[in-house]
Amino acid sequence: MEKAVLEKTHLAPQLVPLDYTHKPDVTLPYELIGSMPELKDNPFRQRIAEVFSEGGDGNMTLDDFLDMFSVLSEMAPRDLKAYYAFKIYDFNNDDYICKSDLEKTVNKLTRNELTPEEVNLVCEKVIYEADVDNDGKLSLEDFQHMIIRAPDFLSTFHIRI
Amino acid sequence: MDVYEALFPAASLSSCCDYNPYHCHPLFCFSTGINLSECFHLLQLQYKTLKVIGAEFGTSVLSYFIFLKWLLTFNIFSFLINFGFLTIPQFLAAEPNNLSFTGLELLTGAGYFQQTVLYYGFYTNATISKIKNGPSYNMQLAYIFTVGLYFVICFLILLFSMAKSFCRNFINPQAHSGNASKLLCTWDFNITNEKAVKLKQKNLSTQIKVQSTGGTKSLLVKALSFVLFFFLFKLFVKGHRNDLESQAAMLVLPVVTSLLNAFIPFFYSWLGRLERFHTPGQHIYVTIARNIILKISIVGILCYYWLNVVAVSESQCWETLVGQDIYRLIVVDFLFCLLGSFFGEFLRRIIGTTVCVNLGLPEFDIGRNVLDLIYAQTLTWIGILFSPLMPGIQIISFSIVFCVKKVSLMKNCQPPRKVWRTAQMTTSFMFLLFFPSFLGVLSVIGVTVWRLKPSEECGPFRGLSSMYAAVSEWIEILENYTASKWVVWIYHNLITSELFFFILSTSILIIAYLYWQIIEGRKIMIKHLHKQIINGGKDKMFLLEKLRTLQMAKQTPSAPGGQGQQVSLIV
Repeated sequence: MEKAVLEKTHLAPQLVPLDYTHKPDVTLPYELIGSMPELKDNPFRQRIAEVFSEGGDGNMTLDDFLDMFSVLSEMAPRDLKAYYAFKIYDFNNDDYICKSDLEKTVNKLTRNELTPEEVNLVCEKVIYEADVDNDGKLSLEDFQHMIIRAPDFLSTFHIRI
Repeated sequence: MDVYEALFPAASLSSCCDYNPYHCHPLFCFSTGINLSECFHLLQLQYKTLKVIGAEFGTSVLSYFIFLKWLLTFNIFSFLINFGFLTIPQFLAAEPNNLSFTGLELLTGAGYFQQTVLYYGFYTNATISKIKNGPSYNMQLAYIFTVGLYFVICFLILLFSMAKSFCRNFINPQAHSGNASKLLCTWDFNITNEKAVKLKQKNLSTQIKVQSTGGTKSLLVKALSFVLFFFLFKLFVKGHRNDLESQAAMLVLPVVTSLLNAFIPFFYSWLGRLERFHTPGQHIYVTIARNIILKISIVGILCYYWLNVVAVSESQCWETLVGQDIYRLIVVDFLFCLLGSFFGEFLRRIIGTTVCVNLGLPEFDIGRNVLDLIYAQTLTWIGILFSPLMPGIQIISFSIVFCVKKVSLMKNCQPPRKVWRTAQMTTSFMFLLFFPSFLGVLSVIGVTVWRLKPSEECGPFRGLSSMYAAVSEWIEILENYTASKWVVWIYHNLITSELFFFILSTSILIIAYLYWQIIEGRKIMIKHLHKQIINGGKDKMFLLEKLRTLQMAKQTPSAPGGQGQQVSLIV
């Protein structure tokens, strides 16, 4: 935790007060968070900031900042990581990863290099494989079921600070 | 569960002891003998190094360095046990060393080192006691019990690490092709280098575009491999006739071994490119399997030579000779590893960027490097019986290899293009370390301790019929004391009794069979539950449709007298 506070101080020394005993209400704007060395090249940085910020706009308080790095650390349990990964991939915040969410994910992962037909094919394959209750979109349970079969998830969904 | 409880778990964000079993072992803090704050500082440095490697190259290359660090910790632990229980008492009863030291000993291990605590031959078979009528230290028993207990502890550590790794990473290997998980679960959030991120994105899009092609494997390659091993065997049998002569001739065997280890894998990669495989993953697995067979045969032939030729020859102190052979093998292998790094990565980068630009930067060959580590560790384990300080040499070797590989990686290599299923590969490395490597070493040590006659003039077991005879003689002495009758009872009825081992093996087999049946039952249960979820989903859709039609019917003006219809739905 001390490391995270130090990180925040480095980001914006003029904004971050050094005395937190009275819980001051400081919010870092998204531009600063997005320019952190750990996040600046990550294609999902905006979604990460939106998911962990209180208002969903990317501006984070200290608590949000600490939550973010806590979930992305090695200590966090698999279920917690799966929950937040699901929220990150759910672009329209409707508690389901539908086809449009998957298309946005694929485009972010491949830098828009695939043709729309290929993107469509990939999304259909993903839904076909992972959708257990056959409603055409991935719920949190479907996502968690998929995570269990991906042992690499714990080590890849992880940012070191 | 309260979200905040989940978000702030009890442990802090420090690196020391965490989920990954290969991260720094708590023993490391105490075993180097330096105080805790310095130790913490060193760990921070290592953590930073690993973070940088993971950030630039991803978790697959990082797994190699974590494995190397784990082996290094393991060797520190081995060294301390042997040093503490064998070398320190021996220092108290050391004979003076009359040989002179020339620099060549560092390479050949012979000469001055022959009369030092480095080798088995120097250890006394006497009972050491410095103070008259004070506590005495029986070197014979100490040697065999230290080595025995060390291997038992190693066995348990490896078994538990491997089991934990299997438990976490090898769930359902026969699952679906995994397109979904490939897309959503394998993006490496660790990577923070812009170029690496772009490369990874390009790889992913290429993978999605590429279709797999069919292929066949030829039996010719298998036959070629067998011919190669035969040739190896002949070479060794011929090559060692003259290694008792001059110092330079002593190095023939290790150099030839290391050359074979270095060049035959290239031959295998070239062969692999000629063949066609179903997937690129199969190509990697087949190449690694061939390299494993190569290394197993090399170690096997060496052990055969040591146990059947050197041990029964009339030489003065065969254990020391074997120890020296292993020392030379380890040193030359280490030098070849450094040379390999120089040629394979540094020169290849120079060639790839100046002369032949379409080759590009080299990639870090994870499989080959890990197999080299396992090979070196196997040699160290075999060497522990004949040279108790072998782990110390390996510590120096691994530390230098870590630094050199890290520097070479950062300066010369590009991030890997292939997708490595890191968790499964890490588990396979642990499995390879345990199964052919450690168990093979156990059988070699077993044969040495039980069957071979120790040399007459040197070492702690001189004059006995076998090394194990030290234990049987000790038990015979204990029979005369009433206080230790229980030790004798345990020895006769549990350790040397065949009936006990038969009963133990049968019970373990029965328990394993029961667990296997439980797993089969659970698989059937999972299938049923899966069907239940699908049916539940269908029921939900059906009920929602019905609700919708009823609601629409309620909204449209119905026939007179139709109001007051109560609709009750059971959801």
